[in-house]
Amino acid sequence: MEQVRADGFDEFVAARWSALLHVARLLTGGDRQRAEDLVQEALVKLWFAWPKVAEQAPEAYVRTVLVRMAARSAKRRWWGERPVEQLPDRADPGDVSSTVAERSRLEAALALLSAKQRAAVVLRYYEDLPEAQVAQALGCPVGTARSHASRGVARLRQILSDAVRPVG
Amino acid sequence: MDDFERDLSRLLRDTQQHTPYEPEHRQRLHAGIRSRRRSRLLWKAGGSAVAVAGLSVGLALLPNMLTRAQPADHRPQPATSSTPSQDSEPTSDSPDPSTTPTRPESSAPATTTGGSTPPGGPSTTISPTPTATASESRTTSAPPTPPPSPTPTTAPPSPLEETQEPSASATE
Repeated sequence: MEQVRADGFDEFVAARWSALLHVARLLTGGDRQRAEDLVQEALVKLWFAWPKVAEQAPEAYVRTVLVRMAARSAKRRWWGERPVEQLPDRADPGDVSSTVAERSRLEAALALLSAKQRAAVVLRYYEDLPEAQVAQALGCPVGTARSHASRGVARLRQILSDAVRPVG
Repeated sequence: MDDFERDLSRLLRDTQQHTPYEPEHRQRLHAGIRSRRRSRLLWKAGGSAVAVAGLSVGLALLPNMLTRAQPADHRPQPATSSTPSQDSEPTSDSPDPSTTPTRPESSAPATTTGGSTPPGGPSTTISPTPTATASESRTTSAPPTPPPSPTPTTAPPSPLEETQEPSASATE
């Protein structure tokens, strides 16, 4: 029983790991370490809820957990980081490219939004979810979710256009 | 959805970096699951222990509270008889007026008869009486009314102190 549960869980995690990590990274404004911590915590929660949600929508469950934990962790001033002797490996050698520059610009812009606005933008424009599901994941009314998304997009429009605008 | 929103959507998807699910991720995840399971077990054990302790304390206190309600009626009796009777003496005199006469009577024969008459009880009170009665007469207003004539009650027990007198008289 436990083995079957573990197998199904591992299959799901292996299939969705990369996407979940990307969502978490967007939700944290590009903080890779925090994104990994968020995914880890969300998947631990998923493990205990796995018998209930395995047959339904495990990804929706993880997404909701991720969004709420990201909003909660954005309020924290310390995330349990501790100094280490060696710095972890950062980017791959092939990362030095326009894609990386673009991603960095996007993540920097996302980091300037509030946690709710960021979550609404990511769910609406990356996950392509309808407003009702965005509201459900955020735990707020549809109108509020729509407001978060539109304000987030407006702010991103301003930030990204300022970044692209030539100096002088 | 305008152009910017379409660009934003594309940007959000294109920046996805493929990150494989490696064994170290799996180990870390399962270590987290084990840790969470332990902490949940501990919380459950602690919670049930607290619940059992609270229940047992409640059950232990409940009978005491029930039994404590019953003797509340009997408590005033000894309390009024021993200490507060001194203060309540004038008020409690009403039921038995014999108490006030008895006290001077007991002191009266003691002073008058000296060591001659009674054995037992009065003899013990006799020796302190010369000094004690003087002091008592000043402090308490009882001696100023020494009607010596009725001598009969030598029996009124031998109160050594004023505090015990009312109790003795009350018991009579």
